[in-house]
Amino acid sequence: MSGHVKNMCPQLPISQAARTLLSLLLVAAIDSVSAGVVCRKQPCGSSLQISLKLTKLIHKESADLLKTYKVSQGDMSELFCQMSINNVPDPNISGLDPSERMLSIYSHCKAFLPHLKRVTEQQTDLQPPSSSLLSKLSTAQNRTNGLANQINCIYQTLFPNLPIPPEPVDGPTSVPPSQNVFQQKVYGCVVLKRFKEFLSRVTRELRTLKSQVCTRRTTFADTNALS
Amino acid sequence: MPSLFLGILLLGLRVTESQASGLAPPQQVRLDADTEAQKLLVTWEDGRASTFDVEILRTELMEIVFNETVVATEDQSTGKHQWNWTSPVPLECTSLSVKVRSRDGQDVSEWSSQQILPGLDLPDNTDSQMYPEGKTVPVGSNMTFCCIVKEGQQFGSLLYKDTLVKETMLSRRTYATTMTNQGPSNPSGTNVVCSDEKKMIITGAVVFVGYPPMPSDLVCETHDLISVDCQWSKGRETYLFGMARQTYYTLNGRNCSKARDSNMRCGLEQWDGNWTLVARNLLGEFRLTDAAELGHRVRPVAPVNLTTPEVYSWNASVGWLWKYNGYERLSLICQVQRTSHSNSSTQTYTGYGLNTVVLKDLQPDEKYNVKVRCGSQKNFWKWGEWSLPLSFQTKMDRPVAPDIWLWMDSDNLGRVLWKPLTKSESHGQISGYEVTLWSPEENSQQTLTLPQSMYSLPINVTDRWSKVTVTARNPAGVSLPANVVIPRHLPDAEDTTISKVTFNGSGFPLSWVAHANASCGYVVDWYNTSCTHDCNVEWTRVAADNTNTMVQSSNFFAGVRYTFSLYACSSESTVLLERWHGYMQELVPSRTVPRLSPNQEGSDVQLTWDQIPLEHQRGFILGYTVYLTNASHLTLLANITDPQLTNHTVKNLVLGSYKFTVKAYNAAGEDGGATVSISLDPYTYWLIMEILVALGTMTCLLIIITIACYRKRKWVKKAFYPDIPEPKLPGEWGITQGTLDVKPSPHSMVHIVEDSVWDSSKEALVTVPEEDEEGTGDEEADTDEPASLRYYNQVVEEGSSSRGRPHASDSSASSTGSMDSGHTDVTYTGIQTSACSLAPMAHFQPQPDASQCAGGGGYRPQMQSASCPEDPQTGPEEHLQPPVGSFGGYQPQCSWKQDSPEADGGGLDQACLGSPTSVTSSQFLLPYDTSEEGKEHQSSASTWFHNLLTGKP
Repeated sequence: MSGHVKNMCPQLPISQAARTLLSLLLVAAIDSVSAGVVCRKQPCGSSLQISLKLTKLIHKESADLLKTYKVSQGDMSELFCQMSINNVPDPNISGLDPSERMLSIYSHCKAFLPHLKRVTEQQTDLQPPSSSLLSKLSTAQNRTNGLANQINCIYQTLFPNLPIPPEPVDGPTSVPPSQNVFQQKVYGCVVLKRFKEFLSRVTRELRTLKSQVCTRRTTFADTNALS
Repeated sequence: MPSLFLGILLLGLRVTESQASGLAPPQQVRLDADTEAQKLLVTWEDGRASTFDVEILRTELMEIVFNETVVATEDQSTGKHQWNWTSPVPLECTSLSVKVRSRDGQDVSEWSSQQILPGLDLPDNTDSQMYPEGKTVPVGSNMTFCCIVKEGQQFGSLLYKDTLVKETMLSRRTYATTMTNQGPSNPSGTNVVCSDEKKMIITGAVVFVGYPPMPSDLVCETHDLISVDCQWSKGRETYLFGMARQTYYTLNGRNCSKARDSNMRCGLEQWDGNWTLVARNLLGEFRLTDAAELGHRVRPVAPVNLTTPEVYSWNASVGWLWKYNGYERLSLICQVQRTSHSNSSTQTYTGYGLNTVVLKDLQPDEKYNVKVRCGSQKNFWKWGEWSLPLSFQTKMDRPVAPDIWLWMDSDNLGRVLWKPLTKSESHGQISGYEVTLWSPEENSQQTLTLPQSMYSLPINVTDRWSKVTVTARNPAGVSLPANVVIPRHLPDAEDTTISKVTFNGSGFPLSWVAHANASCGYVVDWYNTSCTHDCNVEWTRVAADNTNTMVQSSNFFAGVRYTFSLYACSSESTVLLERWHGYMQELVPSRTVPRLSPNQEGSDVQLTWDQIPLEHQRGFILGYTVYLTNASHLTLLANITDPQLTNHTVKNLVLGSYKFTVKAYNAAGEDGGATVSISLDPYTYWLIMEILVALGTMTCLLIIITIACYRKRKWVKKAFYPDIPEPKLPGEWGITQGTLDVKPSPHSMVHIVEDSVWDSSKEALVTVPEEDEEGTGDEEADTDEPASLRYYNQVVEEGSSSRGRPHASDSSASSTGSMDSGHTDVTYTGIQTSACSLAPMAHFQPQPDASQCAGGGGYRPQMQSASCPEDPQTGPEEHLQPPVGSFGGYQPQCSWKQDSPEADGGGLDQACLGSPTSVTSSQFLLPYDTSEEGKEHQSSASTWFHNLLTGKP
């Protein structure tokens, strides 16, 4: 793991293929982490950069996932996403200071996971087993879980004195109890659309946090070292 | 009051009617809805009738949906009547009102109280909805969808898939549409959506349209001789997916959970002999059955663990294992498929529990892949699965004898050629060749070892060797020898007929007449005809009893001429029998005719060219076409069908420039064409010709004149140069004739008397250089070179001086000019002096003093014409007489003129002008013409002719 991190210096210009390979290695690493949240000490910028790259990858895949989803739902599915549905996580990231915003990212990742799982279950009953949509949905779940764990580790590293609230269970964005087939189609489309929007915001947020938090902490560290 | 009466009357009539039918209205009417099935169950009590009128209305709009008389029997146990009605419209769409009355023929009871089945469009249910939702229906069915818009929302439209459909209003909030003959939907179902006036989706529904299952081809078999494995085909696609809608299979009542997608198979642990497969989905079920004995349905599994216990050059054994012990007692038939790089073949073997076979007819040093499958030999059912392949390589063996041939590059030099051994012939990697040259007469041999990359050996047939043997060697050994006889006498190839052969798509078909000496068959070799040295030669052998063959090669190329030679092969020699030329495919010539040149022949132009080189012909040249080129347009002038003819004359051309194009053509077409230009410009040549003709004519004329003059020379001489009469001298002169040659002193070569006034009384003796007839300049006079001078006594006419003439005229133009220019009295002349004049000169001493000549009347052997006396004397006696002129000396030139009567009349200055002189004298010989005209004419003519003869200009 550490070896991977060392190789992933963000300042180095690397080709697209190398980036893809890097992302895959990241995902593999994060997937292994997702089994149990084990955080290792890493430099602030490095860990955030890893998360940023993972977010970009998931965001890119979420766009493709949404496109595949719409194609799989039949005619006029393009309009499904425009319908309003309650109980789907809001893509906006809340909070004033970095810790709150990072915590919001983590909470949203956790909040989206049951919805992605529900959509996967619903589509399993609507699509042929060989459908690529099912595999993409499954992949999105795994990577989102990995991203959540990554954010969790970063949060613990950056803000060790701040507690992490328990994971939201059956909160206001709990999955809907039962839906008919049309509602499932609309629900899945809205979930994936908001998921994509959320990842876009996370990308920007992580970029901002990297510049804010890591710089400040480096300054703090330097100050402490001088003192 | 009247109204009250009317009311009472009507009430009375109603009571009367009711009492008259005697039927009581149904009581306790109850409605039970099955929304999934869109069925409405209506029950009621207290109706003794068996028929009832049922009326169903949409409550809100009071539209009658159903109004018919139905039969409803009474349930004896409950005493209730019930009637089922299937609504075409989902029951949730809007509220329905139902009322029932009994009917007995024409008698009817009163309507029951109206029962309402509330719909989901009631005001307290404000959400938008659409029904039915998630329903599964068979392909081709009709369905009605209804859309309940949200309270306060405006309905827009209904869309089925992506098609806008016509809707019907069922209530204030409910709109419905009916779709007929629906087609199969995609896996996620067919979408039906309801939108508002802003085209935004309000709500929607999904319907799954598909087929019930219809599998086929159920077949059950055993692999292990115990259990059963059944397979079937999925059949028609149901278009239904998902846990609820997919097809489920059961075999003899046991679920086949593994039967998914294309893997339509299900197994049972024991052989039942009869099997029933049931396929079921939401739209129906389908049954298939199969029955068979176990021995008839044995399909062995694939053999495992293939091995090769023994491998040789030409055969090998292959063994394998069986997964089940029961196969030991099973009679098996097995196929062994072997594949090498060149081919693939399958052999069949049989036996009980067969697990070993021997593969024969293998090729040495060959890699084989083998795989095995088996079936039950008794009551064969199906072949089992192929085993995994096994690879092995056979051992090497000695190679076969190479195919050799002797190719003659020239009369004495040849090459022994042999074909490379193929993989199937080499039986291993060839390490080299051994070539042995034999001389049976000398009982000697010479062996050469050549590497495996060499396939030829040059030899000289004039050497002592008479036979060549070639063998190939590989690690396993040496091949049998291949022999070829070196001919002592080569056949004369020039005498062999050559014919054309046409490629027929697969090769060149050759046929010939059988030859008696073809004891070991025939050999046909071929090569590129245009090749000159180190040609690639191929050959093929034909059996002796065969007189035709098809020559095939992968080295044939289009546009290349090949020469095929047929040889009769015998043990002693090979005899060339026949030759062919052929093209695999003729192409247009790759170049134009070389050396195309025009040659003008008057108004004709002859075009000549050379034949195209053979390698560029690319086909049999059939002839040439000659075109006249005008810009880009070609006008055919001639088509020469004789390919040997390489010239053509274009006749009768008018003056101008022409451009001619000559193209050679073969069966494939014409070449690009060689173009040449010529300009027919006659004037240059004609002018030259005219000049030449004129010169020729003049030359001929001159020759004729010369010849004529020569032949008539006597006449010419007589006419122009009559003989000068011998002067008759009086008395004895006693002077030896001859020229007085004097070697003058260098300082006294020339005496110039520069006296403007000639003293006519003096005689001037003039010295004349012997060699310089022309020279009159001072430089000549001043030269130190001594010259032989000839002195002439020159008498200067006194009369000329008296007449005012500055000097006397000379007999020569040069002398005249000299006197004219210098006003001297000296006369130079190169003309030989006449005998008559020289005679006295022999004894004449130069007298520088001219007075001696002029005064005393002494001897004057010759006088100048200009100073010729006006009345010359002809006789010696007259010589003594005083002359008319200033001197009375001898004047032989003019003396004859005394016979002419006109002589006296001539002037003195004209006395001798134009008179011919002797060939040895510069003096004029002819008498002077007395006529004035004649004098002038003769003077000029004689002067010209004289100059011509004397070579003077």
